[in-house]
Amino acid sequence: MEIKETFGLMARHTDDVIVVCALGMSANEWWQVTGSEDTFYMHGAMGFASSFALGLAVAMPDKQVWIIDGDGSLCMNLGTLLTASGQGPANLKHFVLNNGVYQTVGGVPMTGASRSSYTAIAAGAGVERCYTADSMNALSAVLADIKKPGHCFIDLQVERDDGPILAPPQPFEGPEMKYRFGRAMERRFGIEVFGPEGY
Amino acid sequence: MSNPTVHDQLVAALKRCDVGLAASLPDDWITPTLQRLDREPGIAHIRVAREAEAVAAASGAFFAGARSVAVMGATGLFTCLGELATLNLRHQIPLFMLVSERGSRDDHRIYQEVQGRRIKPVLESLDFPYFRITSTADIEELPHAYEWCRMQKRPVIGFLARKLLKG
Repeated sequence: MEIKETFGLMARHTDDVIVVCALGMSANEWWQVTGSEDTFYMHGAMGFASSFALGLAVAMPDKQVWIIDGDGSLCMNLGTLLTASGQGPANLKHFVLNNGVYQTVGGVPMTGASRSSYTAIAAGAGVERCYTADSMNALSAVLADIKKPGHCFIDLQVERDDGPILAPPQPFEGPEMKYRFGRAMERRFGIEVFGPEGY
Repeated sequence: MSNPTVHDQLVAALKRCDVGLAASLPDDWITPTLQRLDREPGIAHIRVAREAEAVAAASGAFFAGARSVAVMGATGLFTCLGELATLNLRHQIPLFMLVSERGSRDDHRIYQEVQGRRIKPVLESLDFPYFRITSTADIEELPHAYEWCRMQKRPVIGFLARKLLKG
């Protein structure tokens, strides 16, 4: 699948969804395709956007939370699958953008990529439902199915690129990201993230 | 009715902080506190596989409007300094942490010694405030520390002393 087309389709299913993107290709491409200011684009802590999303999902069990992970990020924190399955969050949907390379550093191949299966790893970790999406038709079916409650893992098989990714990063950084996302959460869901004095 | 244990008191103090989510990885000093957390109906408890997950999960909960805490040992704190810097410091996300003070003068475990000797200077270099919790009176002060953490907009670490946890 081509990544922009993939994200274009996914974005049409995010009306009431909280989206968290791992740093790098996931965040940069999601920003380029959607321009979403309701998304949390993690700027650091590679590997741990999925754990961040789990915290959101456990704290807001009535809202669907998507983590759009990178394959490099997932491999940096495979334990996240065990931790999440231990919670069994019916509202957490874990996508991994799987192109087999560290894209933003020049398309460097990932170790073990040709000999491993992320869906098998996720299933082995106890994730309730695991999918592989290798075509737009398959992705459409997955997006319909994951609306049903249940902890889900989705391997998005996207095309690799031999060069560095050209999508620009979103034009705001740490503190602005915090306040944009927090204010969006307050606006969308009627919750209070920041106190009356703004912190 | 038996007197509340220090673990009961810690969980009660977290309730007074309005903590609704805890994320933890055990250290033997704090295991009874974590077991007590599991029995507390008002606090969701995420048991993680690596300490940095606790940092990230507690930080994510912040954006749900939930008050959270990350609980671990000092050795675990050492392992997640990069995530604390690039997630919490970079984004100015407050994070309240309760950490067993491993490697203290009264902790005679050789494998804890380096962490005990170096963790506080490292926290100072990152400008992460910390304080010690050595008594019931200190536990009573935790709600103030929690509010202070929110205002600090960065990790604040409360070190749980051996004397308090182990007697």
